This record gives sequence, C-alpha cells and structure tokens, in this order.
Amino acid sequence: MPESPPDLSSRLPRELAVELLTLARAQGADFAEVYAEHSVVSAFVLEERRIRSSEYSRGQGVGVRAIRGAQTGYAYTDGFSPDDLREAARIAACIARDAAPGGPPRVFAVVDAPPPFTLTAPVALTLEAERKVEMLRRADAAARGHDPRIHEVSTGFADSARGWLVANSDGLWAEDRHFLARLTVTAFASEGDVRQHGFAVGGGSVEAAYFERERTPEQVALEAAGVAVTLLRAEEPEAGTYPVVVGPGWGGVLVHECFGHGMEGDVIRKRSSIRAHQQGQQVAAPGVTIVDSGRVPFSRGSFRLDDEGTPAQRTVLVEDGVLVGYLWDLLNARLTGNRPTGNGRRSSYRDYPLCRMTNTFIEAGPHDPADLVGTVKRGLYCRNLGGGSVSPADGNFSFQVTEAWRIEDGRLTAPVRNATLTGNGNDAMLKIDGVGNDLVIEGSTGSCGKDGQWKPVGVGQPTVRFTGITVGGTRA
Amino acid sequence: MSGPRRETRPLDAAALARLGADAVARARRAGADHAEACLESLRSFTVRVHGGAIESLQQSVTRGLGLRVLVGGAQGFVSSTDLEPESASGGHPLDELVRQAVTLARFSTPDEANAFPTPAEAEDDPPPDLDLVDPALLELPAERKIEMALTLERVALACDPRIRRTDGAGVVTRDGHAVLVNSNGLMRVSSATTVSASVTPLADDGAGKQQTGWYGMVQCRLDQLEDPEAIAREAARRALARLGARPVPTARVPVILAPEIAAAWVGEMFEAFSGEAHLKRTSWLTDRLGETIAAELVTLVDDGRRPRAVGSEPFDGEGMPTRRSVLIERGRFTTILYDHYHARRVGTRSTGSAVRGYASTPRIGPHNLYVEAGGESPEAVLAQVDRGFYMDDQGSYGFNPTTGDYSYQAQGFWVEGGVKVHPVEGVTVASNSLDMLRNVAAVGSDLRFLGSVASPTLLIAEMTVSGT
Repeated sequence: MPESPPDLSSRLPRELAVELLTLARAQGADFAEVYAEHSVVSAFVLEERRIRSSEYSRGQGVGVRAIRGAQTGYAYTDGFSPDDLREAARIAACIARDAAPGGPPRVFAVVDAPPPFTLTAPVALTLEAERKVEMLRRADAAARGHDPRIHEVSTGFADSARGWLVANSDGLWAEDRHFLARLTVTAFASEGDVRQHGFAVGGGSVEAAYFERERTPEQVALEAAGVAVTLLRAEEPEAGTYPVVVGPGWGGVLVHECFGHGMEGDVIRKRSSIRAHQQGQQVAAPGVTIVDSGRVPFSRGSFRLDDEGTPAQRTVLVEDGVLVGYLWDLLNARLTGNRPTGNGRRSSYRDYPLCRMTNTFIEAGPHDPADLVGTVKRGLYCRNLGGGSVSPADGNFSFQVTEAWRIEDGRLTAPVRNATLTGNGNDAMLKIDGVGNDLVIEGSTGSCGKDGQWKPVGVGQPTVRFTGITVGGTRA
Repeated sequence: MSGPRRETRPLDAAALARLGADAVARARRAGADHAEACLESLRSFTVRVHGGAIESLQQSVTRGLGLRVLVGGAQGFVSSTDLEPESASGGHPLDELVRQAVTLARFSTPDEANAFPTPAEAEDDPPPDLDLVDPALLELPAERKIEMALTLERVALACDPRIRRTDGAGVVTRDGHAVLVNSNGLMRVSSATTVSASVTPLADDGAGKQQTGWYGMVQCRLDQLEDPEAIAREAARRALARLGARPVPTARVPVILAPEIAAAWVGEMFEAFSGEAHLKRTSWLTDRLGETIAAELVTLVDDGRRPRAVGSEPFDGEGMPTRRSVLIERGRFTTILYDHYHARRVGTRSTGSAVRGYASTPRIGPHNLYVEAGGESPEAVLAQVDRGFYMDDQGSYGFNPTTGDYSYQAQGFWVEGGVKVHPVEGVTVASNSLDMLRNVAAVGSDLRFLGSVASPTLLIAEMTVSGT
C-alpha cells in the first residue's frame, strides 16, 4: 500500500526546532542538532510456496544531539510530542555542565544540493502489494524450475521510504527522502546427503520498473538456484596462501572492510587506525585507485544529503596507490580542521551519526579480466563473496566466499565450497598485481554494521588479482 | 565530570498491558478473526569513554507495538513506534494500524497452522520467579555508570606501558517491560534488567603494529558483573598476549576452542535444531533426530528458565511457557525446537522457543544456549595437546547454516607440549560441524555466562589450520 512520507516540517516546526536547539545548548554545548524521521518498511516473505507473512512497520521520532568538544550527548523520543522533545533536548544538554548557554541557533538556511539521480516512480510510492507478491511467486517458480534438485526456495521483497529533517545550531536546515527496495532469493539444493544453498539479490534505490527492465525476479532466482546446484559438486578448498582473483562487483566488500573502515574519520582522529599516519604514503599497489562516492546512480549507498545535511560527494581515498584523503562526518571534521565529506550517517533517529562509508570501490584498471585469470598457474577465483569483517586497530580481516572456482593453468576447473579469505588489511592492497577494466558497483545488497548501527552501502571493483591471500579450507 | 540529572521512566507494565488489550480489541472490530499484540517499553543508558573522558552519553525510552492478525487463516503484521493517542491525521493511530494489518493479511496464504496459543495450550505451573530484575540496577545513578566506564579504560591503560590507547570502553544499562496479549485471552507481562561493560585496549609493539584486546560481558544484575578493574585487566592481558603474533604453516592439528569461540560456534549451530529448518529440510541435521551426532562428552542445552540469566524469560514471544530443552544429550540429537506455528505443522507442542521483539514476527530462537561443563580444568585440556592451536578470537563470518561448514579467520596461540609457545594471527581454522561434534575430545569445567550463549573450553581432535 504505497504511502507518501508526511511533511516533517509540520511535525517539527521551525519555532520548535529553535527552542530545542536552544535548550540543547543551555548548559554550554558548542553544537546542537535535532533530527526528525519518519520511515515505513513493507515486506512480504514467501517460503514453502506460501506467503508466510505480509508486513508493514512504521518508525518515527526525533533525536537531539549536543556536542561539547569531543563529547556527545544524545537522547531521542519515539513520536513528536513537544514535551517529550523538550525533555530529550534537556537530557542531551547535560553532556556539557555549568558553562554559559550557547543561545539560540543561527538563522536557518536550507541546504540545496543537486540529487545524484532522480527517481520518478520509487518502489515504495508506486508498486502495489499485488505486484510484489506476484514477483515472489515468479521468483519461486523460476528457481524451482531451474533444476529438480532445488527442493526449497525462500524469497522476500522489502521496500522502504524514509523521510527526514535535520536542523543544527550553525543554522543548517535540510530535508531529504530516501527510497530502497530489495528482492532476495535463497534456493536450497540437495542430492543424496549433500545440501547447499545459493543466494541472490536485486534492488537498490531503484525505480519500480527496475524489476521488469533491469533485473527481473527470474534473473535473481536463476542466479541463486544456479549457485546452489553448482555447489552440490564443489570440492573443499586447498588450505594455504596463494594467488586469488576476485570477480567484479560485490567482491569490493574486500576493499570496504580491509581498507575503508580504517579511513573513517573517527578512527583517524583518535589515531586508532593504522591509516592515521599514512597520508601521502604508498598504501596500495601502483595503479590502484580507491574511491568513496555517495553519488553512484541507483545504489543503496547513495543519497543527496547525508544524515547531517552535508551534500554527498565523491572522495578519492587512494590515487595510484597513494593515500590522499579520508572520510569525515561533522564532528570529526570539526575536531581535526577538515571539511566534511558527506559521510555522517545514522541508522535512525534512535542513533547519533557516525562516520560511515557510502559506495566504496576500486576504480577500473587496464587489464582484460580474462588475462588476470589466464596467467595464474594455481589459484582461486572468487566469483562472489559473502560477509566480511575487519578489526581496524590490528587490520585482521576475513571474508566468507560464497562461490569460488579452482584455477589451474589459467582455467577455472572445479567449483570450491567453504572457503574463507583472511589476511591483514595493512598490506592486502599492496598485494594487488592486476586491476581489470570491468568495474561493477554493486548497489543492491550491502549493509554495513558499526557500533551496532546498520546502514545500506554499495561496494564495487573490477576483477582484481592478489599475489597471495591466505585461503581457509580443510584440504591441507 | 558528572552525568545527566534527569531520568526518564519507561511506560509501566500496566499501561502497556492496557494498550495491548486495546489494540487486540480494535483489531477484532476491524475484521481480524484473531489478533495478538506484542509491546515493549525499554529504557536504556549508554556511556562510552575514550581518552579519559566521556565520548558519548545516550539516554532514551523506547516503546513499540507489533500486531499480528489472522484473517481466514492468513497472517498480517504491523508494527509502530507511534503510540500517542492522538495522531496528526485525526483518528486513533491504532485504528489506522489495525486496518493496515487486516488489509495485509489478504496477501498472505491461508494456513491452518497459523494460530495463537490459547490459555489452555499455554498452561503452566505457576511460573518461577526468574529474578530478572535487579532493583540495585534500577537505582544505579548515571554518575556511577560513568565512573565504571572511566575505570575500565583507566585501569586498562595503567596495566602496561605498551598499552598506549584504547578503542574505548562502555557501560550500557537497560530495563523495561514486555507485554504479550492475544484474542484467546492470553496475557503475559514480564520485566527485566541488563547491564553490560566492556573495554578494548590496544597494545603497541613499538614498531607500528597494534594488537586489539577486548573483554566484556552482559548480565542481568549488577552483582553478577565482574569488577570493572578485573574486566580491564583481562582485556589488557589479551591485547598484550597478542603482541608478536605471526602465521604458522598450514597443518591438520588438534584445536582448542576458547570458551567464547566455542560459544560462537554453538550459537551458529542453533539453526540446525530449529523445527523450521527440519520442515524445510534445509539443514545439515535434517533426518538425524535420535542419531548420535557428537562425542559422548557433549551435552547441549537451551534453557529459558535459568534464574538471573540474560537469555531467560518466563514465557516466549507467543506467550508459551519457556523450558529447559536438551538438544544433544551425551552425543545424541534429542530435541528439535518449535514455535507455535511449526509445532502445529508437525502435530506437537511448542517448546517455548519463539523469540521476537515488538518489530518482528516470532521466529524460532535460543534462550540460554550452552554446552554443559565437563570435568577437566582448561589447563588440563591444554596439557593434552602436544602440537596444535589454541583459538581465542575469530572473524565475524565463516559458518554455512545449510552445510554446517566452519571456516573462520582465527587468532590465538601455537601450542607445543601442552604450552602456548607464541601468538598466532593470519590463519583460518576450518572443518565441518558434524566432524567437529564427533571430534570433541575434551570439555572443560570452565562454563561461564558472559551473555546468553556459552560454552566451556572445547578440544577438537583435528581441524585444518590454514596459514603460510
């Protein structure tokens, strides 16, 4: 049931925003911010050939942040009751104590910035529930029809509309809307005692027509079913350290985890990231350029304004192997004398903003992807990765590989199951010895977690070859 | 530095129950055959410190409502945080919500198994008092919580000159109420408190390499929390012990899983014991109920009624009584866990395993999931390993719930002659859960609950360590 986000400025009028910002600085905070949000999520799940559940969730409320130096006070309320909001502002204000009140905010100026792309018919506003349910049935039928060994399929369709408003004591006033949609398919295959599953996704910040024109339910389903069936004959990976080629698209989760997190402004300011000392240094192999951009068309990680009201931008982190820039949110930019880069993001009004990536990717290079595989004598080709994680302070990272192939004498010879890649982010980007010309930015899937907050992100890369990565497996 | 003077209170349980009953009544009037409301009101306080000062203070009261309706056997679900009696649109916000739920139900497939428990089905002896509310925690002033967090960091920094900074320390407290009410006349009200404390010291080797230590826990009651100074010292010890870590050559060797690593594995295995996975035949334990799947040393339990445990609740997310279920008894797979829906599908009674928050429909999940303690001290377990790996940290991803395949990035120590000889990083440890369960060669006596999933030290006779 399509529904338009309400006009938040009527629920949080400017006079009330002024009052709240004044209250939040009444004890001497240098900076205050009020953030109002309304979001709706619609979801349908098909399992065992039935629509198990049809769901709708609404969340709305207001968060108030006060900052004194490097210290943040935060409180929020569910809903818009003015008395509750005043109480939240008074609680947030307590981060500063016994200093002179900061006074009222500067006169508001509305942030104006061009959108990175325009949605004329976002899913959440235009796609009827009947159509969503029909897509699930189509995906289910396609996955089951792919191969008799597919015995179970779970599909889900979810879309969301989030409208928000932010005002701060520096006089910033910004409003934006964000629309997401995602179709997921998990196909389960079995043959004898062997069971496997495959997973695939379509979506992003997309038009309703995307699911007919660009990525149909059948395409998503066949991808999931194909992986599940292929893995039935997969062998255990050979354990050890050897050349690894990672395919284009979602493989960029590797650069997100093992490089991007260490470039976020909070860990740079606090100098807990090894990258804090590496400005101007060679941190990746020559020819490797790494970018974070909130302006990739139709990606989940894109937006016009970040959640603090800063326009999204393209930030080059590494140019030809040399570290040239970091990511900054308002707080960390202000404390370090840098300019915010549009990376202040929050998972909802219940959380204060953190410095977060948007769409992070390795730029295209000169190589033919076929040559990158063709010149490997013995190695692993990772067509798709699953989840990954990193500890930014020590650099240890790992990734689950969901679809991999053994490379022998330059050819993909056998599918491989249960592989995990591990290494240290400090040197992983230095081990790249080939960058393909086939950049794909995957903007349908990613969610990145940090301090308990989850945010949609895009990741990307062309085909990339590493001279050696440690591959986990059971064949010693 | 002192904290906020103001305190906010969650909605009291009685108000929450009235709201739930009202929502169910409105849903019935709107055309639902059956309705069920799940409500939560939660107060939370979070302090994070860094560099000897408060980094952030966060305080909030959350409330929310989730409503399931059945119309002709088909399910619709809505949730909202907007529980104010007057909405901007004029009408009662609950009426708008229940209309949504009833409308949504018609898109779902009618299913005879969809139902909410009746009071008779959910009958229970008088539920025990699980002692899940700590009055001392409710009264703990913000200043004390801030002081605890500052102590965590200060003590960690003072442990050793090589610990020059931390990635922060934090203390979180929560208290609140949950209400479950359905149109069969079932009403459940529960309350709980939790407190958690943790710190992440960073040890510096003097040559540009840092190692991370982390230690912390979440408990129901303040007196269950280790002293902040002890938590800090343990975290610092972990960071320092990792200095000089290096990979080892690839080998198949015995692997000792430290309690937290064993617990993480147990948590990943949970899904294989869920009735949903068995109905769909999507797990590596499909068709194995009643079989011996593990070494006789292994007994795996899920217990919703451990007193003073963070995973406990007297009733599950559908109002069914929780219980203690033995999933693996001395090696034999003895119990599959069910919520009400999946139990009806196979003609059995729910095991009280429906878990949920207000914003989601119930799913089968664990309460307090643990491996029962064995008889050997962790030192005695270590002493059995002539040449192997002691694993005490891991990456976040590496488990395949369909196959039971296990493959994690690992940190820990190389072991020779029953002694940890040097720290290790840059390796992975891999096997398959069925092989691991069968290969459990020793179970430690050191079972402790630092959260809701726990295990003592486990020795696995053989796994593949992948390194250089």
